[in-house]
Amino acid sequence: MKHIFLSLFTLFSLVAHAQHHFKLPSYETVVLKNGLTIFLMEQHEVPVIHASFTFDAGSMHDGSNSGLANLTADALLLGTKKFSKTELDDQVDYVGATLRSTAGKESAGITATFAKKDQDLMLEILKEVSMFPTFDSIEFNKNKERTLLNLQQLRESPRSVIANYYNALLFPNFPYGAPREGTPLSVAPLSSEMAQTFYKQFYTTDRAALALVGDFDSALMKRKLTAIFGVWKTNAAALVKRKAPELDFKESRVLLINKEDARETTFLIGGKGIDYNSPDYVPVMVINTILGGRFTSWLNDALRVNSGLTYGARSGFSRYKYAGTFQISTFTKNETTVPAIDLALQVLDSLHQHGITTEILESAKAYVKGDFPPNYESSGSLAQLLTDMYRYGFDENYINTFQQKVENIDLKQAKEIIARYFPKDNLQFVLIGKADEIREQVKKYGNLLEKEIKDDHY
Amino acid sequence: MNRKSLYTTLLACLIPLISLSQSGPAGIHSFHLENGMHFIVQEDRSIPNANMYLFWKVGSRNEVHGITGLSHFFEHMMFNGSKNYGPKQFDRVMEANGGSNNAYTSENVTVYTDWFQKDALETIFKLESDRIQYLSIDSAMVESERGVVLSERSTGLENSNYRTLGELVQSVAFKEHPYMFPVIGFESDIKSWTQADLEQYFKTYYSPNNATVVIVGDVSIDQVKKLAQQYMAPIPKRALPPVIRTIEPAQNGTRRVETFKDIATANVLMAYHVPASNHEDYYALELLSSILTSGNSSRLIKNLVLDTTLASQVYSFTENSFDPSLFSIYAIAGKSTSAPDLEKAIEKQIEMIIEKVNENELQKVKNQKLMELYKSLETINGKANSLGTYAVFFGDYRKMFEAPDHFEKVTTGDIQRVARQYLTIRNKTTGYLLPHQP
Repeated sequence: MKHIFLSLFTLFSLVAHAQHHFKLPSYETVVLKNGLTIFLMEQHEVPVIHASFTFDAGSMHDGSNSGLANLTADALLLGTKKFSKTELDDQVDYVGATLRSTAGKESAGITATFAKKDQDLMLEILKEVSMFPTFDSIEFNKNKERTLLNLQQLRESPRSVIANYYNALLFPNFPYGAPREGTPLSVAPLSSEMAQTFYKQFYTTDRAALALVGDFDSALMKRKLTAIFGVWKTNAAALVKRKAPELDFKESRVLLINKEDARETTFLIGGKGIDYNSPDYVPVMVINTILGGRFTSWLNDALRVNSGLTYGARSGFSRYKYAGTFQISTFTKNETTVPAIDLALQVLDSLHQHGITTEILESAKAYVKGDFPPNYESSGSLAQLLTDMYRYGFDENYINTFQQKVENIDLKQAKEIIARYFPKDNLQFVLIGKADEIREQVKKYGNLLEKEIKDDHY
Repeated sequence: MNRKSLYTTLLACLIPLISLSQSGPAGIHSFHLENGMHFIVQEDRSIPNANMYLFWKVGSRNEVHGITGLSHFFEHMMFNGSKNYGPKQFDRVMEANGGSNNAYTSENVTVYTDWFQKDALETIFKLESDRIQYLSIDSAMVESERGVVLSERSTGLENSNYRTLGELVQSVAFKEHPYMFPVIGFESDIKSWTQADLEQYFKTYYSPNNATVVIVGDVSIDQVKKLAQQYMAPIPKRALPPVIRTIEPAQNGTRRVETFKDIATANVLMAYHVPASNHEDYYALELLSSILTSGNSSRLIKNLVLDTTLASQVYSFTENSFDPSLFSIYAIAGKSTSAPDLEKAIEKQIEMIIEKVNENELQKVKNQKLMELYKSLETINGKANSLGTYAVFFGDYRKMFEAPDHFEKVTTGDIQRVARQYLTIRNKTTGYLLPHQP
C-alpha cells in the first residue's frame, strides 16, 4: 500500500508547484479619536456590504457569572434608545438584511449583511445596537428563558457539548475552561442589570474595531462612519492581567461522561496545543493536515477508510490568545470504542516514531495552499479576518506570506515541529457514551473521572 | 447526506462535436458534448481557484425496498477506485494537487463537488472522467465502506432529533412514492446490498447524458471545452434511466405518527404535500415559507419563539424535487408546551395567513430572496451550486436570473391561495418526537 502511495506522489508532485500566490485585497485602516479602529475594504462583485464589529467582551470576562457575556451580546439586539426590539427586527428583515450578535471566549461581536442601497438605515441600526442598547428586563428575561432551554437541549447532542468537557478538563483554573454559553445553574441568576454593567465595562471603543467589506466608496464610507462612531464615548478598558495557563499534564486522565441512551461513543484525545500568535502556526497546520486535517489524513485513513470504524476521524488545534489545545476527534459504535481509540493512538504514535516523508509533506503543502484562498473570498469572511487581525495583533502579511511559509517547510523543520507541538504522553481523554458498556475497558488509558451528561457542570 | 463531517484552431475542430453552445448572462457558457453531458462554465478570477460540481440525476427516489440507501452508498463508492486510479488514489491525487472534494446525496440528486487551485483543472478532469467511465467496485472496499455508512447513519441519529423524526414522517406522508425512503437507507439494507446491486446501479445511472457539470473560477471557457472534449466526450452514452412510474395519490385525511427519545421537550414536524419544484406555485410556496419563518419578524418566530415561549425553535422548508414533495414546518417546544398545544399554535398562524397577508410583509420576503441570491453569487462555490441547481431542477441555469422576476410577480392573494390549497388538515402528516426517560 505504501508503495503505491509513494510512486503516485512522485508522478504528480510537479503539478503542485505551479500555483499562483494569493494576496489580500487592499484595505484602509482608520483610528478614530476615541480609539475605535475602522477597516474599509472595497469589493464590488455584488451590491452587498458586510459589517463586523468586535469588542473585548468575550466570556473570558464572565468570572463567576458564566454565560453573562453571551446574554449581554444577545441583549444588544433586544431594544435600543430609539428602536424597540420589534422595530429593530422589522426594519432589518424588511430590507433582507441580517443582524447578529455573539460572544466567543475572547471577544464579542455584531455582524450585519445588507444591500448597498440600505447602508444608511443599517449603519443607523448598527449605531443604535452598539451605542444605545437599553437592556430591557422583560426582553432580557425572555431571552434568558430561551437560553436555559437551549442549554438543556445542547446535551442531547454529544457533538455539541464534547468541547466544553474537554476545555473544562484542560483549563480547570483558567477562563477558557468555562463554557461560553454558561450552564443552567450559572445562567439562572443573571439579570439585565448585570448585563448592563458588563456592557459598560467591556464594550469600550479603545478595544474595539469595525470592519466594512463590500460595495461602497471608501472615502465616503469613512466620512459616514467617523460622523456616526466618532462621538461615541465609553469607559477606558480595564487592564486585566492574566497568567498563561499551564498545560503540561503529569498523568493521563479519562473523563467518561455517561449518556444513557448513547448508540455510539464520541471522543476527543489530546493535550497542549499552540496559542494564537505562535510563530509556528503554519508548519503546525501543515503537519496536522497529514495527521488529521484532510480526507486522506492518516487518522481518517486508518479509522474510516481502512477499517470502517467511523464516518470520520480528524485532528486539530484550537487556538486562543493565551494558550491552545490539540485534539483528535471521532466517534464509533459502543462496541468498537476501544479498537477505535487504540487505532487513533497508534496513528499519533506513528507520527512521532516514523515522522513524515518528502512526498507526503509536498502533498500536504499543495493541499494547504489550494485550500487557503476560498477561506477569504466572501465579504463576511474578509471582514472576520480584519477583525481577527485587530484582536490578535497580526496583519495582511499573514495572508501575503502564507504560501511562501508553507513552501519553506522542509523535513528537518517538520521533525522539530512534531516533537515540539504534537502531544505524545500523558494524553487527556474525553468520552461521551454509555458508561456501563465501556467503563472497564477504557480505564487502561488513564486516571478515570466520571460525569453524567445531564449534570449541570462540565 | 454528505460524503465527508467543494486556441482558436483547436476550438474550430471542436465545434462540430459540441451540439449546443451559447453565452448567457454574466459570461456564463453552456454546451452539451455529443454524449449528452451538459456543461455550464463561468470564468471568475476573484481568487486563483476553481471548482467542478457534477450533478447526477439519481437519488433515493430511484430506489426500491432492499436497496434503500444505495444512491448514497454509491456516492461513497465513487471515491474507491477506478481503472487508472486504484482505491484511495482519487483523493490522494486530488489533495496532492491542491484540491479537495465532497459529495452529497438527496432524494433527487447525487452531487460531487471538487475545489482546487486553478492549475489542477486537467487533473480534476482526468480523475472525474476515469471514475465515470471506468469505476471499479472493489469488494473489500465495499465492506469497509458499509461500516462507514452505518456510522454515518448512527451519528446522524445520535446527534440530530430532526433526523429521527424526519425519517419517520417521510415514511408516513408517502405511502407509494419512493420519497418514503430515508436517503441514508434502512439499516438492514445497508448491511445487505450486494456487489451486483452496485454494478447495476452504475450502469443505469452514471451515463454522461444523466449529468450536468458546472465549472466556475479562474479558468477559461476554451480550456474547459478542450478538456471536456478530451476527457469526457469519449465516455459512451447509454440509455437514460427509466422514469419513476409511481405517482403518490392525493392524501385524503390527516396522518399522525409519534416516537420517543430522551429529550427535554417535544419536537413537532408537520408536513404537507406540495408540487415539484418546476411547478408554477414554487415561488409562492417559497415566499410563504419565508413569511412563516425567515427572520425575527416572521410569523412563527415572532409569535411562538420571541413574543411567547411556546417554542424554542421553529423552521419551515421545502426541498428541491423532481416529483411532488413536502412543505415542512419543524418546531421544538418551549419548556411548558405540549406537542398538541404547539401544533395548534402553528395551525392558528397558518389560518391567520389564509385570512390576511400584508403587502409590506410580502415585499419584505421578496427583498430577502434578492439578498439570498446576491449572497449566493459572492463566491465561486455559491455560483456553481446555484447554476447547477437551477439547471437540474428548473431546466435552465438562466432561471436563476429570472427568479427575482418570478418572486416579484407573486401577490398577497397568491400566498393566501397556496396556504389555503396546500396547508390543509387532510393533506397533512404530523409527527411528534416526545420526551421519555430511558
